[in-house]
Amino acid sequence: MKSTQVVIIGGGATGAGILWDLSLRGISAILLEQGDIANGATGRCHGLLHSGARYVAKDLETARDCLAENRIIKTIAPHCVEDIGGLMVQCPQDDPAFFEQWWRAAGDADIPSRRLNAEEALALEPNLAANILGAFTCPDAHVDVFRLVLANIEAAVGRGARFHTYSKVNSIQSADGRVRGVGYSNTLTGEKHEIACEVVINAAGGWAQEAAALAGVEVPVRCDKGTLLVLNHRPSSRVINRCRKSGDGDILVPAGPVCILGTSSMSVPGPDGLTASPEEINYLLQLGAELIPGVADARILRIFCGARALYVPAKVDSAGGREISRSYALFDHETLGGVGGFISIVGGKLTTYRLMAAAVCDCVAGKLGVQSECTTGKVPLRPVDDCKAHRRINELLPLPVAEKMERRLGPAVTRVIEAIDARPELAELVCECEMVTRAELEYVLGEASPIPAQTIADIGRRTRLGFGPCQGTFCGYRAMLAGFQTHRWTASQAAKEFSSYLHERWKGQALIQEGKQVEQLDLSHELYGADLSTCAYSGEPDGK
Amino acid sequence: MESNHYDVVVVGAGLSGLTAAGVAACQGLRVALVATGPGSFVLGSGYLKTQEILAAGPADELSEAIAFFCEMAQAAGCPFEGQFSSSRHLPTILGDFQSVTFAPRPLWNAEPRNDTSTAIVGIRELSYFDENFMAERLSDQARLLGSSCTYSARQISLARSCGAPTTTLRIAKRFDYDAGFRAELIEALRPAAAGFVRVLVPGMLGLCSREQQIAQFESELGCTVCELPTLPPSIPGLRLFHLLSRHLSKLGVELLQGFPVSKLQIQDGVCMELEVASPGHPMVLRGECAVLATGQHSSTLLGVDCNGHDEQMHPLTSSGSVMAGNLFVAGTALPGSSGSSGDVMEILTGHRAGSFAAATRGHYAAR
Repeated sequence: MKSTQVVIIGGGATGAGILWDLSLRGISAILLEQGDIANGATGRCHGLLHSGARYVAKDLETARDCLAENRIIKTIAPHCVEDIGGLMVQCPQDDPAFFEQWWRAAGDADIPSRRLNAEEALALEPNLAANILGAFTCPDAHVDVFRLVLANIEAAVGRGARFHTYSKVNSIQSADGRVRGVGYSNTLTGEKHEIACEVVINAAGGWAQEAAALAGVEVPVRCDKGTLLVLNHRPSSRVINRCRKSGDGDILVPAGPVCILGTSSMSVPGPDGLTASPEEINYLLQLGAELIPGVADARILRIFCGARALYVPAKVDSAGGREISRSYALFDHETLGGVGGFISIVGGKLTTYRLMAAAVCDCVAGKLGVQSECTTGKVPLRPVDDCKAHRRINELLPLPVAEKMERRLGPAVTRVIEAIDARPELAELVCECEMVTRAELEYVLGEASPIPAQTIADIGRRTRLGFGPCQGTFCGYRAMLAGFQTHRWTASQAAKEFSSYLHERWKGQALIQEGKQVEQLDLSHELYGADLSTCAYSGEPDGK
Repeated sequence: MESNHYDVVVVGAGLSGLTAAGVAACQGLRVALVATGPGSFVLGSGYLKTQEILAAGPADELSEAIAFFCEMAQAAGCPFEGQFSSSRHLPTILGDFQSVTFAPRPLWNAEPRNDTSTAIVGIRELSYFDENFMAERLSDQARLLGSSCTYSARQISLARSCGAPTTTLRIAKRFDYDAGFRAELIEALRPAAAGFVRVLVPGMLGLCSREQQIAQFESELGCTVCELPTLPPSIPGLRLFHLLSRHLSKLGVELLQGFPVSKLQIQDGVCMELEVASPGHPMVLRGECAVLATGQHSSTLLGVDCNGHDEQMHPLTSSGSVMAGNLFVAGTALPGSSGSSGDVMEILTGHRAGSFAAATRGHYAAR
């Protein structure tokens, strides 16, 4: 049986941050994720690296945390951040008293901000509604959530930590009131495994209650659904917030070649099977158009929902539960009369993931008797660029392709260069929207990558393949062939994998009611729809 | 008559639009065919599916429409074959078999036939078609269909003549104009075909090659050749479009490609003008009548008030009145159509709309 000191449940930003933090402290750890990286709320958010501006008026402490973390993440993970800045826009529909309240609070929180009149704001962002009254600047940024999670895991794996995707924890073993290990199964192959450990960390987000139940304890988490729209344009070059009490549809984040508009907020029973109603989508679009009128005619690429796992403090648990702030909470179940060696971390925001990880790791280090300090705020997630590799890649690939790939891969780019040098045909672009070469595709599928992709959707999370207008209709097919050619899948496995990938991509487009993307979706249905339905009638060739 | 005035203006160059234009042109009318590009049918496999046959309408009208289309395709050099009664199978892009009713003659060669050995030939420089994938999939699927045919993968290289990487479009263009290239292709295919009854290649045998040219290619190779569908643009569908467009041009149809119709001017129950959004040069077409074959996404042209159609293919308003006496709809543009392209329904409705449009000749001339 494998053994380690710590097992982490959940491969979102928090779990990945914990894995990296522990590896820096020399504590051995294995992270188990039931899906792929950033499977839950992390992969289904705006990708807004908060500067605190949004929270400053209602929650100064969270705002200060956000601002500090915003600065740190820009320093330790520059390759994950597009430092585009943000605006808090004053709309005539909103309460002018709030503008002044915000301005004072921003001063209190030391958020660097400038006050712009309408003319100045429109000069910066000409697509804003003409009737705006003005805007405040703030240091918001866009963070690529998949890359951030991957960067933490890759850095940790580089220091000996282990990470398993598609590994669902089914049991937590304990003896004498302490956890002794976990049992998990591979959700793709069904294989069962066990790991002996001293500490189990529940960082399962929306699934935190489920994980806690395995240890016979409870955590107060409530799932709150948010719906987001991906638009195939960048109508603004900065993050656009609406300067008002936080509400629906008031954030627009430019993210790479697209931008993301959101979000709504409604209580849901759990993180699975979320969907959005047409009314909700129209409502978000209408709100978005109040900020930037062009949004009304923008091409929507897809619509997705995520579940924030909110920490809901119960009245009675103040005795044991150590409430760290209003936004997130750490439970050391040992001190709560539960099982020893079991820790839950719930709530929080993407921007403060590192802070949460640090709190958890301090607690773990205390339990294990390890004298250590958190250094994740200082150590860069990725070593500095190799200049030689940089020169060579610019000889092999067009500049925009080379730049995108370098940002995605970092030092691993040398492997891709070697591959293209050996087989020049690998320089061919497989996904034109996100400029993914065949060489990069083969790299993320191969065993040389720290967390190899298991599915076509996994490839997307590592390279952004399929995130553009075709939504995988063309590049997904090519990725399927690449998986077949590199012996990852047999032909029938490849076809089956592509079919389930497409169905997932179709789901996110099915909610779109009109415009070019609907035509694109129909083309996708024309090309594969009938094929996929015949799969059912013909069954699996191997009789499964 | 003004140069922009036609007897019939057909909007959309998919299966139903091409059929409607053909019907009107065969009656000696002056026809304009306006389209942004080829319809979605030609981006796909290039064969007709069977899904809606039973609901497609009176049998003899359907037979007449199909017969008309097959005749037109034959005259265009791209004969279509098939029968309603038999369910036959052709391979798809995912390596499945799909029920097909009508297809261009060379595509039928890919049917699974008992005791037939087939080489699936890939091109090394063409990355988006994988012969091993196809061979493995089709072997599995043929077994499921109870066929004893066998598929083997072979690969050839066209690096010297086409460069790497290449596309089926580039190969098809060279196939059209370069006899030397066709000879090279035959030389490259010969060893791959040795010992097989037939070879299956990705769709690439010319963008406007007529049936005889493909037959000649086959006889020079000495082996039955068939094309498999690829990612769009799939050449067999595009070829059908090119050949039919040429044929219609010869019949006097004026093709206006690359232009979307942006607005219909309807006044007092008559469609007076069609505005065409050509960049920089706004254009207006006038027609005695117009046929809309613009596919599933025609609501911007027809308006949200459009709700259903009458027996003469006139679109109706939500109150049930005819939107315009000289306006007809066809294909998947039909309100309430289930909206699958590549279906015989498109030919039936295109034929019907074309016939009704032609019958209005002179009716609106006074205006």
